[in-house]
Amino acid sequence: MTTPATQTPSQAVEAVPAQRRTPQEISDVSVIVGGQGGDGTLTVVDLLGRYFRKRGLYVYTSRNTLSRIRGGHADASVRACRDSRAAIKAKADLLLAFDQEAIDVVRADLDPGALVLYDSTSFKADYPNSLGFPFATLVGGQLGQPIYKNTAAYGAIAVLMGFDDAVVRQVIEERFKRRGPEALDKNLKALELGRQAALAVPAAVNRWSLAEGDAHDLILTTGNQATALGFVVGGGRFFAGYPITPATEIMEYLMRYLPAYHGVVRQGEDELASINMVIGAATTGTRAMTSTSGPGLSLMTEGIGHAGTAELGILVADCQRVGPSTGQPTRHEQSDLAHLAHLGHGEFPKFILSPGSAEDCFYMTVDALNLAEKWRLPVLLLLDQALCQNASTVPAFDLSKVKVERPSLLTADQVAKQAEYKYYAFSPTGISPFAPVGTPGVTSQITGNEHDEWGHVSVNPVNRNKMMEKRMGKLIQARDELPRPRYFGHKEARIGLIGYGSTSGPILEAMDVLDAEGIVTKYLQARTLFPVQEESLGPFFDSVDLAFVVEHNYTGQLARLLREEMPRYHAKLRSILKYDGFSFRAPDIAGPIREAVHGTKR
Amino acid sequence: MVQSAKPTANTWCPGCGDFGVLAAAKKALVDLKIPPHEAVLVGGIGCSGGIHNFIDVNGVHALHGRLLAQAIGLKLSNPQLTVIAAGGDGDGYAIGMGHFMHAFKKNASILYIVMNNETYGLTKGQASPTSRLGFEGNIEVPFDAILTALSIPTGAFVARTFSGDPKTMTAVLSEALQFNRDHRGYAFVEDLSPCVTYNDTFKEWREKIVNIEKLPGYDPTDRSAVFRLCTETMNAGKIPVGVMHRPGKPSDAASNPLELKLLPDMVGPARADIALEHNLPAYQKLLATAG
Repeated sequence: MTTPATQTPSQAVEAVPAQRRTPQEISDVSVIVGGQGGDGTLTVVDLLGRYFRKRGLYVYTSRNTLSRIRGGHADASVRACRDSRAAIKAKADLLLAFDQEAIDVVRADLDPGALVLYDSTSFKADYPNSLGFPFATLVGGQLGQPIYKNTAAYGAIAVLMGFDDAVVRQVIEERFKRRGPEALDKNLKALELGRQAALAVPAAVNRWSLAEGDAHDLILTTGNQATALGFVVGGGRFFAGYPITPATEIMEYLMRYLPAYHGVVRQGEDELASINMVIGAATTGTRAMTSTSGPGLSLMTEGIGHAGTAELGILVADCQRVGPSTGQPTRHEQSDLAHLAHLGHGEFPKFILSPGSAEDCFYMTVDALNLAEKWRLPVLLLLDQALCQNASTVPAFDLSKVKVERPSLLTADQVAKQAEYKYYAFSPTGISPFAPVGTPGVTSQITGNEHDEWGHVSVNPVNRNKMMEKRMGKLIQARDELPRPRYFGHKEARIGLIGYGSTSGPILEAMDVLDAEGIVTKYLQARTLFPVQEESLGPFFDSVDLAFVVEHNYTGQLARLLREEMPRYHAKLRSILKYDGFSFRAPDIAGPIREAVHGTKR
Repeated sequence: MVQSAKPTANTWCPGCGDFGVLAAAKKALVDLKIPPHEAVLVGGIGCSGGIHNFIDVNGVHALHGRLLAQAIGLKLSNPQLTVIAAGGDGDGYAIGMGHFMHAFKKNASILYIVMNNETYGLTKGQASPTSRLGFEGNIEVPFDAILTALSIPTGAFVARTFSGDPKTMTAVLSEALQFNRDHRGYAFVEDLSPCVTYNDTFKEWREKIVNIEKLPGYDPTDRSAVFRLCTETMNAGKIPVGVMHRPGKPSDAASNPLELKLLPDMVGPARADIALEHNLPAYQKLLATAG
């Protein structure tokens, strides 16, 4: 059988000016790679990410930003920047396309000056500024397998962007050395084929000159991985969950991590089983967690309420996605907050914490475990798809900043010195120090029925009042220990922004955009969403004329919660909302603020 | 001696079948010399689910239908504990049916006792999953937990007992608990436990029960043989009781107890040392694998 290589021209297909141009200096670049699932789009993004990091640039990668299921289309993007940017760039500079669909799907996301680099083996790009090389035929002819086309494409991009040859090669070596000498050799050859093809086209060489950065010693990680690592380090030893996008990776990481630490991970038959296994584990004094997304959270709600009234410290991570019902499982939204803030039937205390970056996910998961155990209640870690699954460069996690504290836990020795041991003993803080089930010399009664201090069912109205006040009082007692907001921007600014989770990245970028236009802003990154932190939010609202609440949902759930809890600031709040399944990009946030400012001036 | 939660006064109707289970469970725990702090009784919702209040061990009152999941979480976190889940037929076979099936798959070494009275007693006598045709207008075929259990190819211990025969029940529960304590896997016992108020079947069941162990061809290691004996007995209008499945030896292929695989050292999550300073080198290695 003849290889396609003999039948297809191996020359470049050009739709760009033929002469060599002066390299364009660039310090913030975004590359999208798109094709059919299996084209290796993620491989190219991974290789580029590795290169950029070696050049001291901050990296942010995302996938699922577009449909992955329909037509088998898959794409991923990587952004490299001298500044720390945890957001997708407003417009991409380069698209590597393995088919026409990849171009059509992202056309609107390309910068007017963007170049489409494509594999001309099977199609001619319908795009004005494009450059095609028959990557599949090139590598197919020389190496016998077209699958190395993505490495060849990486080689061509390296030429386009004026990458350092030695570092380009080093990236390939690091990435493929574990696959054995043959795979490494073929990838190095594919790299060279891609490079030579591009070098033969003058217009392709050094179109860009990428700035170097000073961001070294960073790690590239996702919120899901950081949460899983935080769970281990925070002493988490039991995890039960049910597969659900975009939360599944937390379970998968923990399946790898936990067994080495006497930990157990079980996949439940559903979310009901998962939350209840976690509840069972918590009774033994084990730090336990589940992770889920909207549909699973709905099923877990009864269990979370049970933990609240039975006073069991558990951790539930909600990786929000587009809802309701099955919604858009792979897409981004922040639409569970209203449900969580008013969670369940009956009334019980819970904390809702929201880390603002992958780095924050790590440390906050540890804090959440400490808080859940100390205050003996469910803690909800509110994440979102972009935070969970997009990867960003963050400082390496530092164990010296981590504390594992267990003040409510009674050891066997401590219990033995007491005259009596009541699982639900009244106390000024509402915390009953507890001995895990299995502690020698004592037994516990643990129940979701209203109970007395011993855990015996009680319908006594005086006891009911005292127990409600004990449990609900934790929301006030714990206030000083909950994660505080982080503040960014100009202290004197009269325009404020409020957001949580992954919106922090685009918010900070939008503030820089506005800053350059002379519009000064400041930003309160909320890290505890419930109980609502009036002590921080009040002074912030007092200091501004307008506060933009930035969130991914239709009804402005965070803004509504703030209005509900702090009605006096009603008139100051404006919502910036997005619910199309995509993350904010800086212009989405800067635009409405600019309009409001100029509107005010007129 | 530290004073901690003590059993409360019983609230069941006089003559309730559940008293038989309570007495048998107490005796089995004493016979096996299991100290109260090492045993946990996870109760479901319904009259029978209150059983954890009436016995001097740790008690956990689970959500309706979720007792198995909580019991499995408990056991896997602390494999030293003796964990009994106990509830009714509505709790286990209706709202908790998903967990009923998967508990066999999960095969944790816990004992699950279902007190089957063929009705929802606490809500005053509605039809339950095991109610016969015509009971309170029931038009659905009754569910049979033993036939279902036998159809799941695991190494679980399976038995059916009758509250009117406390002696046999005590022996069966003792065997089941010892099976658990040897980490051989899951044990399921359905007890026929009449509701004297809404479905008093004591007399009828006493007449109808057939000890399957006495039938020709009985072999508790042969699930298909026992299945056949059960269906034949039921077809004759009788109710089979006895040990329905007893795996031959711990090394049986089907017997693959979860905690032995998951927790070879038996430390388990609850007793793991999570102090940061004792884990630093390992954590540093772990963090080095990130990104």
